[in-house]
Amino acid sequence: MSPPLRILGIETSCDETAASVILRDSDGKGHILGDVVLSQLEEHSAYGGVVPEIAARAHVEALDTLIEEALLRAGVTLSDIDAIAATSGPGLIGGLIVGLMTGKAIARATGKPLYAVNHLEGHALTARLTDGLSFPYLMLLVSGGHTQLILVKGVGEYERWGTTIDDALGEAFDKTAKLLGLPYPGGPAVERAALAGNPERFDFPRPLVGDARLDFSFSGLKTAVRQAAQSLEPVTDEDIADICASFQRAISRTLKDRVGRGLKRFKAEHAGVARPALVVAGGVAANQVLRSTLQTLCAQFGFEFIAPPLSLCTDNAAMIAWAGAERLAAGMAADGLDVAPRSRWPLDAQAQALLGSGKRGAKA
Amino acid sequence: MIVLAIDTSGSGCSAAVYDSETAVVLGRSGADLGKGHAERLMEFVDEALVLAGRALPDIDRIAVTVGPGSFTGIRVGVATARGLALALGKPAVGVSTLAALAEGLRASAPGKPVLVAIDAKRDEVYLQAFDAAGVATGEPEALSVEAACERYSGFDGVIGGSGAHLVAADMQPKPPELIDVAFVAALGAAADPASAKPRPLYLRGPDAKPQAGFAIARA
Repeated sequence: MSPPLRILGIETSCDETAASVILRDSDGKGHILGDVVLSQLEEHSAYGGVVPEIAARAHVEALDTLIEEALLRAGVTLSDIDAIAATSGPGLIGGLIVGLMTGKAIARATGKPLYAVNHLEGHALTARLTDGLSFPYLMLLVSGGHTQLILVKGVGEYERWGTTIDDALGEAFDKTAKLLGLPYPGGPAVERAALAGNPERFDFPRPLVGDARLDFSFSGLKTAVRQAAQSLEPVTDEDIADICASFQRAISRTLKDRVGRGLKRFKAEHAGVARPALVVAGGVAANQVLRSTLQTLCAQFGFEFIAPPLSLCTDNAAMIAWAGAERLAAGMAADGLDVAPRSRWPLDAQAQALLGSGKRGAKA
Repeated sequence: MIVLAIDTSGSGCSAAVYDSETAVVLGRSGADLGKGHAERLMEFVDEALVLAGRALPDIDRIAVTVGPGSFTGIRVGVATARGLALALGKPAVGVSTLAALAEGLRASAPGKPVLVAIDAKRDEVYLQAFDAAGVATGEPEALSVEAACERYSGFDGVIGGSGAHLVAADMQPKPPELIDVAFVAALGAAADPASAKPRPLYLRGPDAKPQAGFAIARA
Protein backbone atom coordinates (compact mmCIF):
# COMPACT_ATOMS: atom_id res chain seq x y z
CA MET A 1 0.00 0.00 0.00
CA SER A 2 1.22 3.46 -0.86
CA PRO A 3 -0.63 6.77 -0.92
CA PRO A 4 -2.45 7.58 -4.16
CA LEU A 5 -0.30 9.65 -6.52
CA ARG A 6 -1.45 12.15 -9.09
CA ILE A 7 1.17 12.96 -11.70
CA LEU A 8 1.28 15.54 -14.48
CA GLY A 9 3.07 14.21 -17.55
CA ILE A 10 4.58 16.21 -20.41
CA GLU A 11 5.78 14.78 -23.73
CA THR A 12 7.43 16.81 -26.52
CA SER A 13 10.20 14.57 -27.83
CA CYS A 14 9.07 14.34 -31.44
CA ASP A 15 6.02 15.61 -33.32
CA GLU A 16 3.26 15.19 -30.74
CA THR A 17 2.71 17.80 -28.05
CA ALA A 18 1.07 16.00 -25.14
CA ALA A 19 0.01 16.53 -21.54
CA SER A 20 -1.71 14.12 -19.20
CA VAL A 21 -2.75 13.62 -15.60
CA ILE A 22 -2.74 10.09 -14.25
CA LEU A 23 -3.58 8.58 -10.90
CA ARG A 24 -1.68 5.69 -9.38
CA ASP A 25 -4.01 4.43 -6.68
CA SER A 26 -2.95 2.89 -3.38
CA ASP A 27 -3.12 -0.61 -4.92
CA GLY A 28 -0.65 0.47 -7.60
CA LYS A 29 -3.28 0.54 -10.32
CA GLY A 30 -3.15 3.28 -12.91
CA HIS A 31 -5.97 5.50 -14.09
CA ILE A 32 -5.77 8.12 -16.82
CA LEU A 33 -7.64 11.18 -15.55
CA GLY A 34 -6.95 13.54 -18.41
CA ASP A 35 -5.00 13.02 -21.60
CA VAL A 36 -4.46 15.48 -24.45
CA VAL A 37 -2.35 15.00 -27.58
CA LEU A 38 -1.86 17.55 -30.33
CA SER A 39 -0.41 15.91 -33.40
CA GLN A 40 1.66 18.02 -35.76
CA LEU A 41 1.14 15.60 -38.63
CA GLU A 42 -0.13 18.27 -41.01
CA GLU A 43 2.72 20.66 -40.31
CA HIS A 44 5.23 18.02 -41.40
CA SER A 45 3.40 16.16 -44.15
CA ALA A 46 4.73 18.34 -46.99
CA TYR A 47 8.27 17.45 -45.96
CA GLY A 48 7.79 13.68 -45.87
CA GLY A 49 9.11 13.52 -42.31
CA VAL A 50 9.43 15.44 -39.08
CA VAL A 51 11.30 18.75 -39.42
CA PRO A 52 12.92 19.40 -36.02
CA GLU A 53 12.65 23.21 -36.13
CA ILE A 54 8.99 23.11 -37.19
CA ALA A 55 8.28 20.64 -34.38
CA ALA A 56 10.00 22.78 -31.74
CA ARG A 57 8.09 25.86 -32.86
CA ALA A 58 4.78 24.05 -32.60
CA HIS A 59 5.52 22.65 -29.12
CA VAL A 60 6.26 26.02 -27.54
CA GLU A 61 3.07 27.56 -28.95
CA ALA A 62 0.80 24.81 -27.67
CA LEU A 63 2.17 23.15 -24.58
CA ASP A 64 0.92 25.38 -21.75
CA THR A 65 -2.61 25.37 -23.16
CA LEU A 66 -2.54 21.57 -23.42
CA ILE A 67 -1.44 21.26 -19.80
CA GLU A 68 -4.34 23.45 -18.71
CA GLU A 69 -6.67 21.31 -20.78
CA ALA A 70 -5.33 18.05 -19.29
CA LEU A 71 -5.78 19.42 -15.75
CA LEU A 72 -9.29 20.60 -16.62
CA ARG A 73 -10.28 17.21 -18.06
CA ALA A 74 -8.84 15.49 -15.00
CA GLY A 75 -10.82 17.83 -12.76
CA VAL A 76 -7.74 18.73 -10.73
CA THR A 77 -5.55 21.77 -10.18
CA LEU A 78 -1.77 21.85 -9.88
CA SER A 79 -2.11 21.83 -6.08
CA ASP A 80 -3.57 18.29 -6.34
CA ILE A 81 -0.55 17.05 -8.27
CA ASP A 82 2.17 15.10 -6.45
CA ALA A 83 4.91 15.35 -9.07
CA ILE A 84 5.67 16.54 -12.57
CA ALA A 85 7.13 14.12 -15.11
CA ALA A 86 8.58 15.49 -18.34
CA THR A 87 10.31 13.63 -21.15
CA SER A 88 13.92 14.76 -21.17
CA GLY A 89 15.18 12.37 -23.85
CA PRO A 90 15.86 10.73 -26.18
CA GLY A 91 14.39 12.76 -29.04
CA LEU A 92 14.61 16.03 -30.91
CA ILE A 93 16.45 18.47 -28.69
CA GLY A 94 14.37 21.52 -29.61
CA GLY A 95 11.16 19.87 -28.50
CA LEU A 96 12.69 18.23 -25.42
CA ILE A 97 13.84 21.66 -24.22
CA VAL A 98 10.32 23.06 -24.44
CA GLY A 99 8.76 20.23 -22.44
CA LEU A 100 11.53 19.99 -19.88
CA MET A 101 11.69 23.75 -19.23
CA THR A 102 7.93 23.93 -18.87
CA GLY A 103 8.11 21.03 -16.42
CA LYS A 104 10.94 22.67 -14.47
CA ALA A 105 9.02 25.95 -14.26
CA ILE A 106 5.88 24.24 -12.97
CA ALA A 107 7.90 22.16 -10.50
CA ARG A 108 9.72 25.25 -9.24
CA ALA A 109 6.54 27.33 -8.92
CA THR A 110 4.54 24.60 -7.19
CA GLY A 111 7.38 23.17 -5.11
CA LYS A 112 6.60 19.66 -6.43
CA PRO A 113 9.29 17.19 -7.47
CA LEU A 114 10.31 16.88 -11.11
CA TYR A 115 11.02 13.55 -12.76
CA ALA A 116 13.01 13.83 -16.00
CA VAL A 117 11.71 10.75 -17.75
CA ASN A 118 13.33 8.67 -20.47
CA HIS A 119 10.81 8.46 -23.31
CA LEU A 120 11.65 4.78 -23.83
CA GLU A 121 10.90 4.06 -20.19
CA GLY A 122 7.46 5.55 -20.78
CA HIS A 123 6.86 3.01 -23.55
CA ALA A 124 8.42 0.22 -21.49
CA LEU A 125 6.11 0.69 -18.50
CA THR A 126 2.85 1.41 -20.36
CA ALA A 127 1.66 -2.18 -20.10
CA ARG A 128 1.69 -1.84 -16.31
CA LEU A 129 -0.61 1.18 -16.60
CA THR A 130 -3.00 -0.52 -19.02
CA ASP A 131 -2.76 -4.18 -18.00
CA GLY A 132 -1.13 -4.18 -14.56
CA LEU A 133 1.57 -6.47 -15.94
CA SER A 134 4.17 -7.84 -13.52
CA PHE A 135 7.92 -7.81 -14.11
CA PRO A 136 9.74 -9.24 -15.98
CA TYR A 137 8.42 -9.06 -19.52
CA LEU A 138 9.66 -8.41 -23.04
CA MET A 139 8.86 -5.27 -24.96
CA LEU A 140 9.16 -4.69 -28.68
CA LEU A 141 9.26 -0.98 -29.47
CA VAL A 142 8.72 -0.28 -33.16
CA SER A 143 8.30 3.36 -34.11
CA GLY A 144 9.66 6.02 -36.47
CA GLY A 145 12.62 6.57 -34.18
CA HIS A 146 13.22 3.23 -32.49
CA THR A 147 13.29 -0.50 -33.11
CA GLN A 148 14.22 -2.28 -29.92
CA LEU A 149 13.62 -5.48 -28.06
CA ILE A 150 13.90 -4.74 -24.36
CA LEU A 151 13.75 -6.93 -21.27
CA VAL A 152 11.84 -4.98 -18.65
CA LYS A 153 12.99 -6.30 -15.27
CA GLY A 154 11.80 -3.54 -12.97
CA VAL A 155 11.39 0.21 -12.72
CA GLY A 156 14.70 1.58 -13.95
CA GLU A 157 15.98 -1.91 -14.79
CA TYR A 158 16.13 -2.59 -18.48
CA GLU A 159 18.22 -4.80 -20.71
CA ARG A 160 18.35 -3.98 -24.35
CA TRP A 161 18.42 -7.29 -26.17
CA GLY A 162 18.26 -5.93 -29.67
CA THR A 163 18.18 -2.68 -31.55
CA THR A 164 18.42 -1.54 -35.13
CA ILE A 165 21.89 -1.10 -36.52
CA ASP A 166 20.63 1.42 -39.10
CA ASP A 167 17.06 2.59 -39.82
CA ALA A 168 14.14 2.32 -37.45
CA LEU A 169 11.24 0.23 -38.73
CA GLY A 170 8.86 3.20 -38.93
CA GLU A 171 11.54 5.03 -40.86
CA ALA A 172 11.69 2.18 -43.36
CA PHE A 173 7.92 2.51 -43.87
CA ASP A 174 8.22 6.30 -44.29
CA LYS A 175 11.08 6.02 -46.78
CA THR A 176 9.29 3.34 -48.79
CA ALA A 177 6.18 5.50 -48.91
CA LYS A 178 8.16 8.54 -49.96
CA LEU A 179 9.91 6.62 -52.71
CA LEU A 180 6.63 5.30 -54.05
CA GLY A 181 4.96 8.71 -53.89
CA LEU A 182 2.61 7.64 -51.07
CA PRO A 183 1.60 10.14 -48.40
CA TYR A 184 3.25 10.72 -45.01
CA PRO A 185 3.15 9.05 -42.53
CA GLY A 186 4.24 6.03 -44.49
CA GLY A 187 3.00 3.27 -42.20
CA PRO A 188 -0.74 3.53 -42.85
CA ALA A 189 -0.13 4.44 -46.53
CA VAL A 190 2.04 1.39 -47.22
CA GLU A 191 -0.35 -0.87 -45.32
CA ARG A 192 -3.31 0.42 -47.32
CA ALA A 193 -1.52 0.02 -50.66
CA ALA A 194 -0.39 -3.49 -49.68
CA LEU A 195 -3.98 -4.70 -49.23
CA ALA A 196 -4.38 -5.09 -52.99
CA GLY A 197 -0.86 -6.38 -53.57
CA ASN A 198 0.85 -9.72 -54.12
CA PRO A 199 3.27 -10.31 -51.23
CA GLU A 200 5.09 -13.05 -53.17
CA ARG A 201 6.03 -10.99 -56.22
CA PHE A 202 9.29 -9.64 -54.85
CA ASP A 203 11.65 -11.60 -52.65
CA PHE A 204 13.10 -8.77 -50.60
CA PRO A 205 16.04 -9.43 -48.27
CA ARG A 206 15.53 -10.19 -44.59
CA PRO A 207 18.70 -8.79 -43.04
CA LEU A 208 20.18 -10.59 -40.02
CA VAL A 209 17.68 -13.43 -40.25
CA GLY A 210 19.40 -16.46 -38.79
CA ASP A 211 21.88 -14.29 -36.90
CA ALA A 212 22.19 -15.26 -33.24
CA ARG A 213 22.18 -11.70 -31.91
CA LEU A 214 18.80 -10.03 -31.68
CA ASP A 215 19.46 -6.82 -33.60
CA PHE A 216 17.54 -5.43 -36.54
CA SER A 217 18.58 -3.88 -39.84
CA PHE A 218 16.32 -2.28 -42.43
CA SER A 219 18.53 -0.19 -44.70
CA GLY A 220 19.28 -3.07 -47.07
CA LEU A 221 15.58 -3.69 -47.43
CA LYS A 222 15.07 -0.04 -48.26
CA THR A 223 17.71 -0.26 -51.00
CA ALA A 224 16.13 -3.42 -52.42
CA VAL A 225 12.74 -1.68 -52.55
CA ARG A 226 14.26 1.25 -54.41
CA GLN A 227 16.03 -1.00 -56.89
CA ALA A 228 12.85 -2.98 -57.52
CA ALA A 229 10.88 0.20 -58.09
CA GLN A 230 13.54 1.68 -60.36
CA SER A 231 13.68 -1.46 -62.48
CA LEU A 232 9.96 -1.07 -63.18
CA GLU A 233 9.86 2.69 -63.62
CA PRO A 234 7.34 4.08 -64.43
CA VAL A 235 5.46 2.03 -61.84
CA THR A 236 1.79 1.14 -62.03
CA ASP A 237 -0.62 1.06 -59.08
CA GLU A 238 -0.32 -2.72 -59.19
CA ASP A 239 3.48 -2.52 -58.96
CA ILE A 240 3.17 -0.25 -55.94
CA ALA A 241 0.70 -2.56 -54.25
CA ASP A 242 2.96 -5.56 -54.90
CA ILE A 243 6.05 -3.75 -53.64
CA CYS A 244 4.24 -2.70 -50.46
CA ALA A 245 2.86 -6.17 -49.85
CA SER A 246 6.26 -7.79 -50.47
CA PHE A 247 7.93 -5.19 -48.23
CA GLN A 248 5.53 -6.05 -45.41
CA ARG A 249 6.13 -9.75 -45.92
CA ALA A 250 9.89 -9.24 -45.64
CA ILE A 251 9.44 -7.27 -42.43
CA SER A 252 7.02 -9.78 -41.07
CA ARG A 253 9.49 -12.61 -41.70
CA THR A 254 12.32 -10.59 -40.16
CA LEU A 255 10.33 -9.89 -37.01
CA LYS A 256 9.26 -13.51 -36.79
CA ASP A 257 12.89 -14.60 -36.73
CA ARG A 258 14.27 -11.81 -34.53
CA VAL A 259 11.45 -11.66 -32.00
CA GLY A 260 11.07 -15.45 -32.02
CA ARG A 261 14.67 -15.76 -30.86
CA GLY A 262 13.95 -13.18 -28.17
CA LEU A 263 10.97 -15.17 -26.88
CA LYS A 264 13.07 -18.31 -26.79
CA ARG A 265 15.77 -16.54 -24.84
CA PHE A 266 13.25 -15.14 -22.37
CA LYS A 267 11.87 -18.62 -21.75
CA ALA A 268 15.35 -19.99 -21.20
CA GLU A 269 16.42 -17.22 -18.83
CA HIS A 270 13.14 -16.75 -16.99
CA ALA A 271 11.71 -20.22 -16.84
CA GLY A 272 9.95 -19.42 -13.58
CA VAL A 273 7.71 -16.74 -15.09
CA ALA A 274 4.24 -18.25 -15.12
CA ARG A 275 2.71 -15.78 -17.53
CA PRO A 276 5.37 -14.64 -20.00
CA ALA A 277 4.30 -11.66 -22.04
CA LEU A 278 5.40 -9.69 -25.08
CA VAL A 279 4.33 -6.06 -25.10
CA VAL A 280 4.35 -4.13 -28.33
CA ALA A 281 4.68 -0.35 -28.44
CA GLY A 282 5.29 2.37 -31.01
CA GLY A 283 3.31 3.58 -34.00
CA VAL A 284 4.26 0.59 -36.17
CA ALA A 285 2.30 -1.57 -33.69
CA ALA A 286 -0.79 -0.35 -35.55
CA ASN A 287 0.17 -2.41 -38.61
CA GLN A 288 -2.19 -5.38 -38.86
CA VAL A 289 0.20 -7.65 -40.74
CA LEU A 290 2.90 -7.21 -38.11
CA ARG A 291 0.38 -7.53 -35.34
CA SER A 292 -0.89 -10.86 -36.62
CA THR A 293 2.69 -12.06 -37.11
CA LEU A 294 3.47 -11.25 -33.50
CA GLN A 295 0.20 -12.77 -32.28
CA THR A 296 0.94 -16.02 -34.08
CA LEU A 297 4.46 -16.02 -32.73
CA CYS A 298 3.28 -15.43 -29.17
CA ALA A 299 0.72 -18.22 -29.43
CA GLN A 300 3.43 -20.54 -30.72
CA PHE A 301 5.76 -19.79 -27.81
CA GLY A 302 3.09 -19.55 -25.12
CA PHE A 303 3.38 -15.83 -24.62
CA GLU A 304 0.60 -13.43 -23.90
CA PHE A 305 0.53 -10.72 -26.57
CA ILE A 306 -0.18 -7.32 -25.09
CA ALA A 307 -0.84 -4.36 -27.35
CA PRO A 308 -1.97 -1.28 -25.44
CA PRO A 309 -4.56 0.86 -27.23
CA LEU A 310 -2.95 2.67 -30.14
CA SER A 311 -3.25 6.06 -28.43
CA LEU A 312 -0.96 4.68 -25.71
CA CYS A 313 1.36 2.89 -28.19
CA THR A 314 2.20 6.09 -30.04
CA ASP A 315 3.73 9.08 -28.29
CA ASN A 316 1.62 10.32 -25.39
CA ALA A 317 2.05 11.97 -22.01
CA ALA A 318 0.10 9.43 -19.95
CA MET A 319 2.99 6.98 -20.24
CA ILE A 320 5.43 9.69 -19.14
CA ALA A 321 3.25 10.54 -16.15
CA TRP A 322 2.98 6.82 -15.35
CA ALA A 323 6.76 6.37 -15.52
CA GLY A 324 7.05 9.30 -13.09
CA ALA A 325 4.48 7.65 -10.80
CA GLU A 326 6.38 4.37 -10.88
CA ARG A 327 9.63 6.11 -10.02
CA LEU A 328 8.03 8.08 -7.21
CA ALA A 329 6.26 5.01 -5.81
CA ALA A 330 9.52 3.05 -5.94
CA GLY A 331 11.14 5.74 -3.80
CA MET A 332 13.48 6.88 -6.54
CA ALA A 333 14.89 10.38 -6.18
CA ALA A 334 13.46 13.25 -8.19
CA ASP A 335 15.69 15.18 -10.56
CA GLY A 336 17.29 18.55 -9.89
CA LEU A 337 16.11 21.58 -11.84
CA ASP A 338 19.52 21.66 -13.50
CA VAL A 339 18.82 18.40 -15.33
CA ALA A 340 19.77 18.60 -19.02
CA PRO A 341 17.69 17.43 -21.97
CA ARG A 342 19.40 14.55 -23.80
CA SER A 343 18.88 13.95 -27.49
CA ARG A 344 20.50 10.55 -26.97
CA TRP A 345 19.77 8.48 -23.93
CA PRO A 346 19.87 4.68 -24.11
CA LEU A 347 17.45 3.07 -21.70
CA ASP A 348 19.97 0.37 -20.97
CA ALA A 349 23.09 2.22 -19.86
CA GLN A 350 25.11 -1.00 -20.07
CA ALA A 351 24.28 -1.67 -23.70
CA GLN A 352 27.02 -1.08 -26.23
CA ALA A 353 26.43 1.54 -28.88
CA LEU A 354 25.61 -0.11 -32.18
CA LEU A 355 25.35 3.10 -34.15
CA GLY A 356 26.03 6.76 -33.74
CA SER A 357 28.15 6.89 -30.62
CA GLY A 358 29.45 10.43 -30.90
CA LYS A 359 30.07 13.05 -28.27
CA ARG A 360 26.37 13.07 -27.43
CA GLY A 361 26.67 9.42 -26.51
CA ALA A 362 25.14 6.32 -27.96
CA LYS A 363 21.85 6.47 -29.77
CA ALA A 364 19.09 4.69 -27.95
CA MET B 1 4.51 45.65 -9.40
CA ILE B 2 7.21 43.03 -8.94
CA VAL B 3 8.47 41.64 -12.25
CA LEU B 4 10.59 38.56 -12.79
CA ALA B 5 12.53 39.06 -16.03
CA ILE B 6 14.29 36.31 -17.92
CA ASP B 7 16.65 36.43 -20.88
CA THR B 8 18.04 33.38 -22.66
CA SER B 9 17.88 34.73 -26.21
CA GLY B 10 21.61 34.96 -26.86
CA SER B 11 24.83 33.84 -25.30
CA GLY B 12 23.82 35.39 -21.95
CA CYS B 13 21.47 33.72 -19.51
CA SER B 14 20.02 35.97 -16.83
CA ALA B 15 17.17 36.71 -14.47
CA ALA B 16 16.19 39.80 -12.51
CA VAL B 17 13.57 40.74 -9.95
CA TYR B 18 12.42 44.31 -10.53
CA ASP B 19 10.11 46.69 -8.70
CA SER B 20 8.29 48.86 -11.23
CA GLU B 21 7.04 51.36 -8.62
CA THR B 22 10.58 52.43 -7.78
CA ALA B 23 12.19 51.30 -11.06
CA VAL B 24 14.79 49.44 -9.02
CA VAL B 25 16.32 46.04 -9.75
CA LEU B 26 15.97 44.21 -6.44
CA GLY B 27 18.13 41.27 -7.42
CA ARG B 28 19.76 39.89 -10.51
CA SER B 29 21.89 36.97 -11.53
CA GLY B 30 23.26 35.49 -14.70
CA ALA B 31 26.28 34.65 -16.78
CA ASP B 32 27.56 34.75 -20.31
CA LEU B 33 27.11 31.05 -20.90
CA GLY B 34 27.25 30.53 -24.62
CA LYS B 35 25.37 27.29 -24.14
CA GLY B 36 23.66 25.31 -21.40
CA HIS B 37 20.86 27.81 -20.72
CA ALA B 38 18.34 25.05 -20.03
CA GLU B 39 20.49 23.67 -17.21
CA ARG B 40 21.39 26.95 -15.51
CA LEU B 41 18.35 29.21 -15.85
CA MET B 42 16.52 28.05 -12.70
CA GLU B 43 19.64 28.61 -10.62
CA PHE B 44 19.80 32.23 -11.82
CA VAL B 45 16.08 32.73 -11.13
CA ASP B 46 16.61 31.40 -7.60
CA GLU B 47 19.64 33.64 -7.03
CA ALA B 48 17.82 36.74 -8.26
CA LEU B 49 14.92 35.97 -5.91
CA VAL B 50 17.24 35.42 -2.95
CA LEU B 51 19.13 38.65 -3.63
CA ALA B 52 15.80 40.48 -3.91
CA GLY B 53 14.55 38.90 -0.70
CA ARG B 54 11.45 37.70 -2.53
CA ALA B 55 9.76 34.42 -3.28
CA LEU B 56 7.95 33.35 -6.44
CA PRO B 57 4.47 34.04 -4.99
CA ASP B 58 5.52 37.72 -4.67
CA ILE B 59 5.93 37.97 -8.44
CA ASP B 60 3.15 39.86 -10.22
CA ARG B 61 4.35 39.36 -13.75
CA ILE B 62 6.96 37.47 -15.76
CA ALA B 63 8.77 39.19 -18.63
CA VAL B 64 10.82 37.24 -21.15
CA THR B 65 12.82 38.07 -24.26
CA VAL B 66 11.14 36.52 -27.29
CA GLY B 67 13.85 37.23 -29.88
CA PRO B 68 15.05 37.73 -32.44
CA GLY B 69 17.98 35.63 -31.32
CA SER B 70 18.94 31.99 -30.91
CA PHE B 71 15.88 29.89 -31.78
CA THR B 72 16.65 27.35 -29.08
CA GLY B 73 17.54 30.01 -26.52
CA ILE B 74 14.30 31.87 -27.13
CA ARG B 75 12.33 28.69 -26.53
CA VAL B 76 14.15 27.99 -23.27
CA GLY B 77 13.00 31.38 -21.97
CA VAL B 78 9.50 31.39 -23.43
CA ALA B 79 8.70 27.86 -22.25
CA THR B 80 9.96 28.70 -18.77
CA ALA B 81 8.03 31.97 -18.60
CA ARG B 82 4.81 30.35 -19.80
CA GLY B 83 5.27 27.45 -17.38
CA LEU B 84 5.81 29.84 -14.47
CA ALA B 85 2.81 31.93 -15.54
CA LEU B 86 0.61 28.84 -15.67
CA ALA B 87 1.67 27.60 -12.25
CA LEU B 88 1.66 31.00 -10.52
CA GLY B 89 -1.54 32.21 -12.12
CA LYS B 90 0.22 35.44 -13.14
CA PRO B 91 0.58 36.93 -16.63
CA ALA B 92 3.70 36.55 -18.76
CA VAL B 93 4.66 39.13 -21.37
CA GLY B 94 7.16 39.05 -24.20
CA VAL B 95 9.82 41.69 -24.84
CA SER B 96 11.79 41.81 -28.08
CA THR B 97 15.56 41.78 -27.90
CA LEU B 98 15.54 44.73 -30.31
CA ALA B 99 13.49 46.79 -27.83
CA ALA B 100 15.72 45.77 -24.91
CA LEU B 101 18.86 46.73 -26.85
CA ALA B 102 17.22 50.01 -27.90
CA GLU B 103 16.70 50.92 -24.24
CA GLY B 104 20.42 50.50 -23.67
CA LEU B 105 21.24 52.73 -26.66
CA ARG B 106 18.77 55.40 -25.51
CA ALA B 107 20.34 55.43 -22.09
CA SER B 108 23.77 56.04 -23.62
CA ALA B 109 22.56 58.76 -26.02
CA PRO B 110 19.48 60.48 -24.59
CA GLY B 111 17.25 62.49 -26.88
CA LYS B 112 18.15 60.69 -30.09
CA PRO B 113 16.30 58.16 -32.21
CA VAL B 114 17.94 54.73 -32.22
CA LEU B 115 18.29 51.96 -34.75
CA VAL B 116 19.09 48.48 -33.49
CA ALA B 117 20.65 46.06 -35.96
CA ILE B 118 21.49 42.50 -34.96
CA ASP B 119 23.82 40.52 -37.21
CA ALA B 120 21.61 37.66 -38.38
CA LYS B 121 24.44 36.07 -40.47
CA ARG B 122 23.78 34.95 -44.06
CA ASP B 123 24.07 38.60 -45.13
CA GLU B 124 21.02 39.59 -43.17
CA VAL B 125 20.27 41.85 -40.21
CA TYR B 126 17.37 41.87 -37.80
CA LEU B 127 16.48 45.48 -37.17
CA GLN B 128 14.02 47.99 -35.81
CA ALA B 129 14.05 51.77 -35.36
CA PHE B 130 12.79 53.66 -32.32
CA ASP B 131 12.20 57.39 -31.73
CA ALA B 132 13.89 59.37 -28.97
CA ALA B 133 11.14 58.39 -26.53
CA GLY B 134 11.74 54.71 -27.20
CA VAL B 135 8.58 54.20 -29.23
CA ALA B 136 9.08 51.84 -32.17
CA THR B 137 8.74 53.59 -35.51
CA GLY B 138 8.58 50.37 -37.48
CA GLU B 139 8.08 46.64 -37.09
CA PRO B 140 10.96 44.31 -36.21
CA GLU B 141 12.18 42.77 -39.45
CA ALA B 142 14.86 40.73 -41.15
CA LEU B 143 16.45 42.55 -44.09
CA SER B 144 19.33 41.83 -46.39
CA VAL B 145 22.35 43.90 -45.47
CA GLU B 146 22.02 45.66 -48.82
CA ALA B 147 18.37 46.61 -48.26
CA ALA B 148 19.09 47.72 -44.70
CA CYS B 149 21.94 49.97 -45.85
CA GLU B 150 19.74 51.48 -48.53
CA ARG B 151 16.86 52.16 -46.19
CA TYR B 152 18.87 53.57 -43.32
CA SER B 153 21.77 55.26 -45.15
CA GLY B 154 20.81 58.67 -43.81
CA PHE B 155 19.59 57.56 -40.40
CA ASP B 156 19.74 60.52 -38.05
CA GLY B 157 20.37 58.95 -34.69
CA VAL B 158 22.34 56.29 -32.89
CA ILE B 159 22.91 52.91 -34.49
CA GLY B 160 23.79 49.97 -32.28
CA GLY B 161 23.73 46.21 -32.00
CA SER B 162 25.96 43.44 -33.33
CA GLY B 163 24.98 44.32 -36.91
CA ALA B 164 25.51 48.08 -36.62
CA HIS B 165 28.73 47.96 -38.65
CA LEU B 166 26.89 46.17 -41.46
CA VAL B 167 24.36 49.00 -41.75
CA ALA B 168 26.70 51.92 -41.04
CA ALA B 169 29.96 51.51 -42.97
CA ASP B 170 31.87 53.86 -40.68
CA MET B 171 31.32 51.67 -37.60
CA GLN B 172 33.64 48.95 -36.37
CA PRO B 173 32.34 45.46 -35.77
CA LYS B 174 31.73 44.76 -32.10
CA PRO B 175 31.01 41.51 -30.33
CA PRO B 176 27.29 41.08 -29.65
CA GLU B 177 26.36 42.83 -26.43
CA LEU B 178 24.51 40.97 -23.74
CA ILE B 179 20.89 41.88 -23.18
CA ASP B 180 20.47 43.90 -19.99
CA VAL B 181 17.74 42.02 -18.19
CA ALA B 182 16.85 45.18 -16.25
CA PHE B 183 15.55 46.70 -19.49
CA VAL B 184 13.60 43.52 -20.16
CA ALA B 185 11.97 43.92 -16.76
CA ALA B 186 11.16 47.62 -17.28
CA LEU B 187 9.72 47.02 -20.74
CA GLY B 188 7.80 44.02 -19.44
CA ALA B 189 6.30 46.11 -16.64
CA ALA B 190 5.09 48.64 -19.21
CA ALA B 191 3.66 46.02 -21.60
CA ASP B 192 -0.01 45.15 -21.80
CA PRO B 193 -0.51 41.80 -20.06
CA ALA B 194 -3.87 41.39 -21.79
CA SER B 195 -2.00 41.04 -25.07
CA ALA B 196 -1.24 37.49 -26.15
CA LYS B 197 1.14 35.21 -24.26
CA PRO B 198 4.82 35.58 -25.10
CA ARG B 199 5.49 34.00 -28.48
CA PRO B 200 8.90 33.54 -30.05
CA LEU B 201 9.81 36.26 -32.54
CA TYR B 202 12.00 34.33 -34.96
CA LEU B 203 11.89 36.69 -37.98
CA ARG B 204 13.07 33.75 -40.05
CA GLY B 205 11.40 30.61 -41.36
CA PRO B 206 12.27 27.13 -40.15
CA ASP B 207 14.56 26.51 -43.13
CA ALA B 208 12.90 23.38 -44.46
CA LYS B 209 12.02 22.69 -48.06
CA PRO B 210 9.28 20.33 -49.16
CA GLN B 211 10.85 17.30 -50.77
CA ALA B 212 9.95 16.85 -54.39
CA GLY B 213 11.35 14.81 -57.25
CA PHE B 214 12.39 12.06 -54.88
CA ALA B 215 9.66 9.63 -55.75
CA ILE B 216 9.79 7.08 -58.49
CA ALA B 217 7.89 7.96 -61.68
CA ARG B 218 4.31 6.71 -61.85
CA ALA B 219 2.87 5.14 -64.95
